[in-house]
Amino acid sequence: MWEQVQQALSRSTARTLSQVASLLPGIVALLLALLISIVLAWLIAGILRRSLSRIQFDDRVFRWGFLSLPEWSPGKSPTLLAARVVAWTVVFIGFVIGVSAFDSTLTSALVLRVFEYLPNVLAAILVLVVGSVVARFLARSVLIDAVNMNLQYARLLSAGVRWMVMVLTVAMALEHLTIGGGIIRLAFGILFGGIVLALALAVGLGSKDLVSRSIQREANRAAEQSEEPVRHL
Amino acid sequence: MDFDAIPQPAVEHLAQVQGAELLIGVLGANGTSSAVASMVRQALEGFPHPPRAVLVVDKGAAEPRLENEQPLAVLFCRLSDATSSAASPQGFFSAYHTIFGIGRGIGARACTVIASQLQTVTPLWITQLVRPALDMEFDLVTPRYARHKWEGLINRSVLSPLSRALYGKRIQNPMGPDLGLSARMMQPLIEDQAKARGASRGNPLASVLATAVRCNFQICEAQVGARLQPPLDWMNLSSLLAQILGPVFLDVEQNAAVWQRVRGSHAVPGFGPAETAPEEGGPVDAGRLIESFHLGAKNLQDVWSLVLPPTVLLEIRKLSRLPLEQFRMLDEVWVSIVYDFALAHRVRTINRDHLLRSFTPLYLGWIASYAQEMGSAGPFEVEARLERLAQAYEAGKPYLVSRWRWPDRFNP
Repeated sequence: MWEQVQQALSRSTARTLSQVASLLPGIVALLLALLISIVLAWLIAGILRRSLSRIQFDDRVFRWGFLSLPEWSPGKSPTLLAARVVAWTVVFIGFVIGVSAFDSTLTSALVLRVFEYLPNVLAAILVLVVGSVVARFLARSVLIDAVNMNLQYARLLSAGVRWMVMVLTVAMALEHLTIGGGIIRLAFGILFGGIVLALALAVGLGSKDLVSRSIQREANRAAEQSEEPVRHL
Repeated sequence: MDFDAIPQPAVEHLAQVQGAELLIGVLGANGTSSAVASMVRQALEGFPHPPRAVLVVDKGAAEPRLENEQPLAVLFCRLSDATSSAASPQGFFSAYHTIFGIGRGIGARACTVIASQLQTVTPLWITQLVRPALDMEFDLVTPRYARHKWEGLINRSVLSPLSRALYGKRIQNPMGPDLGLSARMMQPLIEDQAKARGASRGNPLASVLATAVRCNFQICEAQVGARLQPPLDWMNLSSLLAQILGPVFLDVEQNAAVWQRVRGSHAVPGFGPAETAPEEGGPVDAGRLIESFHLGAKNLQDVWSLVLPPTVLLEIRKLSRLPLEQFRMLDEVWVSIVYDFALAHRVRTINRDHLLRSFTPLYLGWIASYAQEMGSAGPFEVEARLERLAQAYEAGKPYLVSRWRWPDRFNP
């Protein structure tokens, strides 16, 4: 009997060891891929950081109007943010390559799913970037025009426009990521509709007098100014 | 003949006109075209030897018609879609190009464009604008209007002192809109326009002085009378500023090589007796202007901080805290604002339309300061005040040149 136990143990040990041995090249390949990708990421991030610093990327980002980007960036530097995003992307790609080296059905399916999902992520990022730019542009247009029309609540109008566009953008991005599904649509509908309804109520009921006074004041102002002797040309 | 800018029937009419020396273009003359023709005839009678002239009157959508008489042939045709510069500046500007094209096509030695409201235009205006170009070998004749201290404020605050600092010519109205031109002057203007074809067609008036200086042409001023201007809709002031300053800043960019070589300034020859300025009308309410400036200072700091240096932003903040009676914008601050906006327009720090529209509260601040200072001032004090402003522009020019050459040296 002991012999049979011994044989069973030795067979299972041999089987386990052979299975572990068959995984070993994959693990080594994963570690190697990770190691190489980390080194590559470090190199690429270093080069990118230097290049962006040389062209004063942080100042340019500020001048392009992305005023809040530095606040979100590590060390308040968009250069550092860009370098880190690129570095982590390279590490992630290395990890995916390493995982696929296992050559098992599970990992292949995982890699396939990841690569299938990648376009959605890219589309969502694009939507967010474009939405953010459009929101900023529209908010600034509204702010300047409202100030030139002497509207005291210019900043409020501008912020309202910005948030409306951003809410729309985030909803679109989540739709691309297929996160939330129907809930997002419903939540967006309720939120967007709620904002519009709140504004309508605010203007129609709460701030009716304020708005009418403001419009009346502007009308009087235009009439009075047209009687002034100032001629611009 | 080169008439590519005007309708075919009008081209056929112009082909019948022989030996024309002078072209007179009148814009926005709807309903008063016969009165215009009679006025131009009177003006020609003032010449010792009346030149053979062609009068082109903007007649809206009607069919072109020619009255070919001696010494004046009158062509009624459509020059632009706009009846006034306020209605559609772009259409109005294209009419200038059409007139220049006709002038070159008929081989005129001189050309005059009348674009002011015709109620105040007299035969003397035409004589004054034509004679230097036709008989005295001047290439560009700009108008000098009789105006009270609240008129032409964009001109007084920006256009005139800026062009003086850049191009070294002390001219009251560098952008007309009424002008006299020689045949030599028309040629580069037409060529510049041909180059710009396909791209955005700008305001030809913005580049007329720069063209004259670049080509080393002779420039003079002609005294004309008071000019009638309709009251402006203040709600559209930002659009007006954008339409005027946009082409001006573009011209500054295109002629950087010309103005960077110019040092100092000098007066240009003037013709005709100075006329009395019209009545000033009521007082200017500086309080409302300052209120608009405060609103801008409160809300547009984020935009201005992308354009203006910290010292100027600090001055603006200080200014916005001053009580009404102490509200004064220093000339150095105003000059820096104008130069920094021109620079920001060049390097596209922010969207150009946003940039130009955000200039409005600052401009209203300047008017408020000017109104406070000049409230009870006489014509001589006003002129002295404007002379100081023009000198501040000249003194600030090295800053503009330096920033123009090395825009990255300073980042707001």
